[in-house]
Amino acid sequence: MEGTSGGFRKELVGKLLQLHFKDDKTKVSGDALRLTADLLKIFVVAAIRSVRQAQAEDLALVDVDQLEKVLPQLLLDF
Amino acid sequence: MEEDEAAEEQQRFSYQQRLKAAVHYTVGCLCEEVASDREIRFSKQTIAAISELTFRQCENFARDLEMFARHAKRSTINMEDVKLLARRSNSLLKYITEKSEELAQFNSEQRAKKRKKLEEENQEPVEPAEAAAAEQDNPSL
Repeated sequence: MEGTSGGFRKELVGKLLQLHFKDDKTKVSGDALRLTADLLKIFVVAAIRSVRQAQAEDLALVDVDQLEKVLPQLLLDF
Repeated sequence: MEEDEAAEEQQRFSYQQRLKAAVHYTVGCLCEEVASDREIRFSKQTIAAISELTFRQCENFARDLEMFARHAKRSTINMEDVKLLARRSNSLLKYITEKSEELAQFNSEQRAKKRKKLEEENQEPVEPAEAAAAEQDNPSL
C-alpha cells in the first residue's frame, strides 16, 4: 500500500476539503480520501519536477522564476 | 453581535493558517525527497509558493468533488468522484485509476479476511452484507 515515501495524511486531506464544502452534509469516504491524498501528492511532485526541468542552466538552487514558467501547464493538467 | 463575528472570523483564519502550515510541511518533505535524489536545493520561496498553490488547488478539488457527488445524488464523495477529478490528463487518469483499483482490491481482501475470521470464531457461515462483493460461494444459501 502507498505510504512509504512522503505524502498527505488522510486526516489533513479531509480537513482541507471540508474547509471548502458548501453543504454541511457533504462527507468523504475513506477510500476517496486516500485517493485524493495520492492526487495531491502527484500535484506537488509534478510541480517540483517541472520546476526542475525548467532550469535552463545548471542551477543548484531552484527559485520561484522556474515555478512561474511552468504554472500554466501544470494547472491545465489538473 | 459584531464582536462574536470578528472572533469567529479570527478563529477561522487561524484554523486555515494551521492547515496551511501542515500542507507546507508535507510539501517541504516532498521537496526534500526530490532534492536529495538530484543534489539540488529548493528555495524557501519556491517551497512556500508550491504549498500555497497546493492549498488553493484543494479548494478547486473540494468544490468539484462536492458537485460530482451531488450530481450523482449522493452526499458522500466516493472514489468515482475523485477519478473524475483526474480526467484532464491521460497519464494522470491512468495512474489514479490504477490506485483506485489497488484500494478496492485491498478492501475486498480485508473484508474476506474478516469474514473468514468471524466464520472461524462462530463456526457458522456469515451472511454476506454485500452480495455483489462476495467472491466466495456460500453453499448454505
